[in-house]
Amino acid sequence: MSAMLRLLFFVVSLSPTLLLVTWDGSLSWALIDGIRLHLTLTPLAGFFLTLLALAAPLVALPMLRRPCDWPSLVLYVLLLLGMQLLLLAGDFVSFFVGWEVMTWSSYLLLLRSSRADMETSQSFILFNLASAFLLLAGILVFFSLTGDFAIRSLAEPSLPQALTLLALFGLAFLIKVGTLPLHIWIPSSYDQAPDAFSAFLSGSVSKMGVYGLILLPTLFPDALASFAGRFLNGPAFGYLLAWVGVITSVVATFKAISQEDMKRLLAYSSIAQVGYITTAVGVGSSLAIAGALYLALVHTLVKVLLFISVAGIVLQTGQRQFKDLGRLIERMPISFFGVLIGIIGLAGMPPLPGFAAKYLVFVSLVDARWLLLLAAMILASTAAFIYCYKLIYAPFLGHANSPGAKEAREAPWPYLVPQVILMGLLVLFGLFPGLAIDVLIDPVLVGLQMAPIGAESWAKLTTVYGGYDGVVLMLVFGIAFVLVTGLFLLLRGRMRRAGSPYDLSFAGEVPTADTPLHYGAGMGRELRRIPLVGWILRQGTRGFYLGLAGQMRAAAALLGNLYVGRPQAWILIAVVVLAASLAARAMMGGL
Amino acid sequence: MLAFLDDPKILHGIYVLGTLTLFFIGLYGLLAKRHLLKVLISIAVMELSVYLLFVGLATSPGETAPILSDGLTEFAGMADPVPQALTLTAIVIGLAVLALGVSLAVQYHRLTGKADIARMTELKEL
Amino acid sequence: MTLPLTPVWFVALPLLLAFASPLWVRYRLLMPLLVGTPALLLLLAFVLLPEVRTGPLLETIVIAPPLGIHLQLDSASWILVALISLAGLLATAFIWLSDAEPYLRDRRAFVFLLLLIAGCNGMVLTGDLFNLYVFLEIAGVSAYALSALRRDASALEAGLKYLIIGSVAAVFFLFSVVLIYLQTGQLNMAAVAARFGGIPAPMQLLIGLLMLVGLGIKAELFPFNFWVPDVYQGSHPVLAGLFSGLLVKAFLFVLFHLVFLLLADPQVAGLWLMGLGATTMLIAEVVALRQEDMRRMLAYSSLGQIGLITLALGFGMQATTAGGLFHMVNHTLVKLLLFLTAAVLLRSFVSARLADLAGAGRARPLAAALFVLGALAVMGLPPLSGFASKLWILKGFAEAGVFWPVALILLAALIEAGYYFRWIKVLYDPNGDLKAAAPVERMAYVPMGVAAGLIILLGVAPFLVDDLFIEGAQTLLDRGAALSAVLGAGS
Repeated sequence: MSAMLRLLFFVVSLSPTLLLVTWDGSLSWALIDGIRLHLTLTPLAGFFLTLLALAAPLVALPMLRRPCDWPSLVLYVLLLLGMQLLLLAGDFVSFFVGWEVMTWSSYLLLLRSSRADMETSQSFILFNLASAFLLLAGILVFFSLTGDFAIRSLAEPSLPQALTLLALFGLAFLIKVGTLPLHIWIPSSYDQAPDAFSAFLSGSVSKMGVYGLILLPTLFPDALASFAGRFLNGPAFGYLLAWVGVITSVVATFKAISQEDMKRLLAYSSIAQVGYITTAVGVGSSLAIAGALYLALVHTLVKVLLFISVAGIVLQTGQRQFKDLGRLIERMPISFFGVLIGIIGLAGMPPLPGFAAKYLVFVSLVDARWLLLLAAMILASTAAFIYCYKLIYAPFLGHANSPGAKEAREAPWPYLVPQVILMGLLVLFGLFPGLAIDVLIDPVLVGLQMAPIGAESWAKLTTVYGGYDGVVLMLVFGIAFVLVTGLFLLLRGRMRRAGSPYDLSFAGEVPTADTPLHYGAGMGRELRRIPLVGWILRQGTRGFYLGLAGQMRAAAALLGNLYVGRPQAWILIAVVVLAASLAARAMMGGL
Repeated sequence: MLAFLDDPKILHGIYVLGTLTLFFIGLYGLLAKRHLLKVLISIAVMELSVYLLFVGLATSPGETAPILSDGLTEFAGMADPVPQALTLTAIVIGLAVLALGVSLAVQYHRLTGKADIARMTELKEL
Repeated sequence: MTLPLTPVWFVALPLLLAFASPLWVRYRLLMPLLVGTPALLLLLAFVLLPEVRTGPLLETIVIAPPLGIHLQLDSASWILVALISLAGLLATAFIWLSDAEPYLRDRRAFVFLLLLIAGCNGMVLTGDLFNLYVFLEIAGVSAYALSALRRDASALEAGLKYLIIGSVAAVFFLFSVVLIYLQTGQLNMAAVAARFGGIPAPMQLLIGLLMLVGLGIKAELFPFNFWVPDVYQGSHPVLAGLFSGLLVKAFLFVLFHLVFLLLADPQVAGLWLMGLGATTMLIAEVVALRQEDMRRMLAYSSLGQIGLITLALGFGMQATTAGGLFHMVNHTLVKLLLFLTAAVLLRSFVSARLADLAGAGRARPLAAALFVLGALAVMGLPPLSGFASKLWILKGFAEAGVFWPVALILLAALIEAGYYFRWIKVLYDPNGDLKAAAPVERMAYVPMGVAAGLIILLGVAPFLVDDLFIEGAQTLLDRGAALSAVLGAGS
């Protein structure tokens, strides 16, 4: 029985794939008073459905490990259905329904974790619902302009109309992707969510915000480019959005470096990556949109891979702080390679596809002549190397600093299979950067009526500003890797091999096994002493939101005084209201 | 001497003044008195003032009771019977409510020893 | 002999059965009849439905209109009657199946519950102002008695407070009825409506304000609703569910029925009511943020929803009115579900306080899951029924291009989420280690399951019923048709 149910669950987790393969035509469902839900699949939604189809079964596998948490599985199914509805939506009502189902089911999934605390869960749901209600408000404004709920471009919105819509929709989607002042809910919830589910939150759920952001400009095809004029070689309005994205990336990158916890680090890195995507959407040219989509693809693959690897580490060691881990390279070699491939993709280093994605965004910034943004983005993506390094160094190298880390074994197969598949996919896209362009991205660009990027062959990434051949690149890197590893293995025999991890000495002292030795632990602490970076790290929006919550409670206390249980006060108020209205009327109109 | 009272306007004016006075006395008691029974009595006084107003203003001087008997076979010069019937009904209802209220108050007093409306503080914000 | 199926049974059947209660005690029929009566009434409502949809059913007892007692079952009041029967059925079924506390299962409770149903049905159906007062008092007295039923200090306090404030409301209402009669010489609503415009404006205002205070207290509008949390907290949760689900809805309906019927131009009054509704909604939602007792929290949430319904109905457009009526139904189902959950939790863990319920989801998974479902529905999250009705209301406002209610409704929903999700989080607190003190009958979940099923069904397929609400809204708003139906075409 249990096995059957688990199989069924896995099949449901494949439903985005099945949908992608079998969907044709459209579906319609009456809701209420003439509102109908229309389901169709646009190329843009198809792209995000592909991402969902990639992530869903891979995240489902670790969730299936015994003992199963059945409510989690049910909620995961609901979440998947909601997201599919959101992507299939041909009208705003079904979009909103999908969006909301996604919101509350992911919240309830978050509650399944034993670590979720009140502040985290409240901030998660309130930010997400605020996003949803802003979306609904935008939808209603849209409805009042067009008279129906279909998702289509607005004919000729006036400036205030377009600005209202842009503000409402834009805020809704920016909360979901978590750009800067609105990101507060992300780190703690990605951290405290059930470990496998964090992968899905970061890999898939945040992409729905990206979907919205890319969808948004299509609502006003001309207005966006024209009403604020152009700045240098791109839309001036997008310039603002691009800066939001870049600032998000820069700040989140430095925050990530200073984290002491694996999942929090990944959460901040997730914010930073989505910041790049936001920047690309701001640029808005076909190169930039291609870059945004490519980044979304890579980010999904990388974050699912990294979160599942980390989940495996947490499962086997029971530790999640960098200072408690170490030296897992021998005990968890496959996870090591998972994280290694993951961070190469994350850092956007060649030969993996992260490079291709960032390359497209950089090129689009050059194309728009927004060089200041380009510089800031390069700063962020270079600083990202540090946290990537921390991610591989602290758990896998150095010294094991806790009993759990000393005795860990390789993660069980439900964690390893997704990792291997994702590693394979990353290498595949690294070898053939044109594959993603040709198969996944160009149809979307055509669907958005933009110029496709085109690819000479699947191995090549070509833009007007030049490109590269993935196979050659991979070969070069592969050969270099083989050479270096070979040289290392050859030379190692001659080097004196350390007898124990503690076989080193400094300043005349020989550390014992009790001495904690860990380079990763203090890393990033010194960042606070750098003038600007330290200032950034000290800032936070948490105080503001906590203050807001405190104000609400104070207001509740104040208004609650009205409801004190004295019947005579109630009657007095009623009589006074009656008399006051009569008096007011008498004064105004004369009885 | 009291012939001016036959003028319906003056009579009705007196009725209005009287019943309103009664109404406000009830309202005062309701707001100012703290004993449960006094509060219930005040409510009854307010109700009473409304009944009086109803019956008083619906009849004019010179109208007879709306009963067909003793040779009276026609509805002429009779008071409107509807307000009187309604008032009777309302009195019955008011009595029922009052009885329920008093019985609750007595039970409450037996149980807690309190009869002060301002000291009913079992139910409150936590 | 055949009994004609007429609207009068909605009032007569529960009244007759209630007064014959000693007989039922003797034959041990109390519980079956308690559940059977609302079930029969619901059946009757559905039997009458096809007829009602073709035209209103008028029933006049004693003399011809405008004199006489007059019952009117039209598309709008049908919704309320069916709702009252359904809510009564669910609540009484819960009392029976859950093996509830003895004081809810004895003869007094039986009598008062049936009287409550009769009173509410009467209020909704009657076409006569004085009858309205009588039914209002019947429903009121049974509600006061019900909330004091437990006879401990808190229940008696709730009962007394309810009685005092309720009687004051009744006095105000009676005052306005008396003034109306003195001014128009009529009590039939349609006849009054035809002459209401002729009353001098200051008197109109006085009548309107007196009526507003009277019905506002009963219908829980701010600033007349301060009694609500106390009474809901002191009463048994099932009864609080009935008050919130059925009594308040009946009063709200009466209020709007009168507004739309009496006033030739309800725009100004509607605007005032919208203002009251919006204030009620916002203040109640904010105050609910810091409630630590589940019954009190639900009371404030109920106030918030009442405010929303008032806001929607006050606007007086067909879409918002239909949405408001639909939201009435949804809110009744949802609040009933939530209060029944509260009853189960209160029974299991003896307390309804937030701190004492930490981790209750583990000990009572089904109750906690139903609470989550209800909370999602009350916040208007899809795919549950609260969403459909809220969307309808919001769509109505958007169509008319009026956006301040939209903003307020969404803001209120966000605040609402602030406390409901706090409760959900606490119910699923992983650190709470709670042991249930008392068992709960499995059958108790049947009525809750039915309510939950309806909430999901109406959320996924609201198109099944939306015609009913559109017709209801048209009937409620079409003053001319209502007048000519009663008084004849000439008036």
